[in-house]
Amino acid sequence: MSVSSPPAPSARLTARERRTRFWQMVQLMPIMAILVLLFGGALVLAILQSLGFAPWFGVNTFPDFSYFGALWGSSTFWASLGLTLYYATVSTVLALILGILLALALVKTFPSKTFYKYLYKLPLMIPYTVGIALAVLMLSNGGMLSRLAAFFGMIDDPSQFPQILKTHYGWGIIAVYVWKQTPFITLAVYAVLLGIGRETEEAAAILGASRRTIFFRVTLPQILPGVVSSTLICFAFNVGAFEAPFILGGGFPDTLPVVAWRYFNDADYTLQLQGMATVVSIGLVAGVILFGYLAAYRRYERRMGRN
Amino acid sequence: MAKKFNIALSSRLSPFQKFYLLVIAGFILGPFIPLVIQSFAFRWAWPDLLPGTWWLEQREKAMAPLAWDYVLSPYSRVWEATVNTVFIGTIVTAICLAICLPAARVLAREKFRGKSAFEFFLSLPLIVPEAAIGIALLMMFIRLGLAGSYVGIILAHLIPTIPYMVRMLTAVYQGLGRDFEEQAMILGANRWQVLRLVTLPMLLPGVVAGALFTFLVSTNIFLLTFFLGQGQIVTLPTLLFSKIAGGTLDASAAGITLIVTLPGIILLIISERFIKEEAFGKGFGN
Repeated sequence: MSVSSPPAPSARLTARERRTRFWQMVQLMPIMAILVLLFGGALVLAILQSLGFAPWFGVNTFPDFSYFGALWGSSTFWASLGLTLYYATVSTVLALILGILLALALVKTFPSKTFYKYLYKLPLMIPYTVGIALAVLMLSNGGMLSRLAAFFGMIDDPSQFPQILKTHYGWGIIAVYVWKQTPFITLAVYAVLLGIGRETEEAAAILGASRRTIFFRVTLPQILPGVVSSTLICFAFNVGAFEAPFILGGGFPDTLPVVAWRYFNDADYTLQLQGMATVVSIGLVAGVILFGYLAAYRRYERRMGRN
Repeated sequence: MAKKFNIALSSRLSPFQKFYLLVIAGFILGPFIPLVIQSFAFRWAWPDLLPGTWWLEQREKAMAPLAWDYVLSPYSRVWEATVNTVFIGTIVTAICLAICLPAARVLAREKFRGKSAFEFFLSLPLIVPEAAIGIALLMMFIRLGLAGSYVGIILAHLIPTIPYMVRMLTAVYQGLGRDFEEQAMILGANRWQVLRLVTLPMLLPGVVAGALFTFLVSTNIFLLTFFLGQGQIVTLPTLLFSKIAGGTLDASAAGITLIVTLPGIILLIISERFIKEEAFGKGFGN
């Protein structure tokens, strides 16, 4: 039961220790097994296949980098990658700004606070597909915003409404991500804000700091852990999201998950290997970016004297 | 100086914040107003702010079920999708709880070599793009004969839910402390009594929160269900996807959207008491 007791150099204690170790392992084993077998297995399989290992199709040229070569050699891949990263980055940044502003407002005292604490979590509770349906309803050329524009006499034909959906600017996709993820980031930041209390801000205010200084020099460094963890999760999700770009995207070139899905559903099954190379590329790109982000954050933390 | 000082310290909303909260309310709730209207519309021509013809005026004349008649009829598969969603969510939550509780206890209380590496590994499913996992899993499950089966979908749902569940339960165990259990043991309770009479009652609120959140995540998963369900198993998110995949939203699709929103609203009302913001304040990977 107690491992924290100092280990004594007697044989009996070592045996007991070994038994505790064993029980710890037993308790950790189930989640370990599921994650290693499913998650790890899927990753390993994807990498093997993208390198030409698919004996069930009669293809086994492992290790074969030609699938990556073909993929990375085409300009459409880079266009797709650019679009994927563009949607993911813009929506994460927008959601972060809106989320921090909302969290800062939520720590204040105001009459409808209880209502807002329910309200802001609503998008968190419902699937992305609902957000997409709402985007179709609001943002399409015949949609609600276009009707409102006509009502106020700004346009007199649906075609005059600026096209928001199905373009490569992707404002429809970004709107859905922001709508869905602002609550997530708000939740994370608000949680940290509640934890740190207001003492440091008050101290800074008493010492004569302006509101801007207080935010950037006192509040922001303290909420950074929440900011980093929530933006990491949002960014990774956005890079791998399929449904929003599939429905609201501008068509060819598609984002990488849609490209992978198309390869995978192609009648020519050898293209599945190309699809796997796409999948592995998504993972690689996301991994490199997120690792860099996390490393930069860790360095910042160390510089701030936090471990 | 004094005025500035007051603003910086104030615990009340600034004018900008008041305005901002209104904008956020409009941004979050606004789109639901036309959604409800659309679900009752029969014909809604372009510049009109309200439908020209309503569903109720047309439902007698139409040959096929319209709008809500269609949504609530078996043709729409809404009922089937709801049952599937709840069933899968419940099983996933039960399995997740059963395997995460012991692990969370160890993670919260014991120190062992490789612990931080293990915790980082636990967070990985949150930051590896879902499309990558989904397609690779599909390949694996096709080989194993699990594609398009409930077992396959439930297994896949465990991947994104385990990290959240372990985090929330670890936080609960950390907050619990060991003292009460030790006191019960000193007073002569055996392990089973300690678990049943001390640990579980104290854990309960946190466990309920973790279970609700896991259920929520599971019911919201689209991509893994869509890829691994192979069109044979519909849940609410995948059903809605197939209705709006063409990029338009008719009355029945609007009705289905509202139905898909419903579980979320119910969970929101139940869970507000249980899901504490504080549980999400942990940094990433440490």
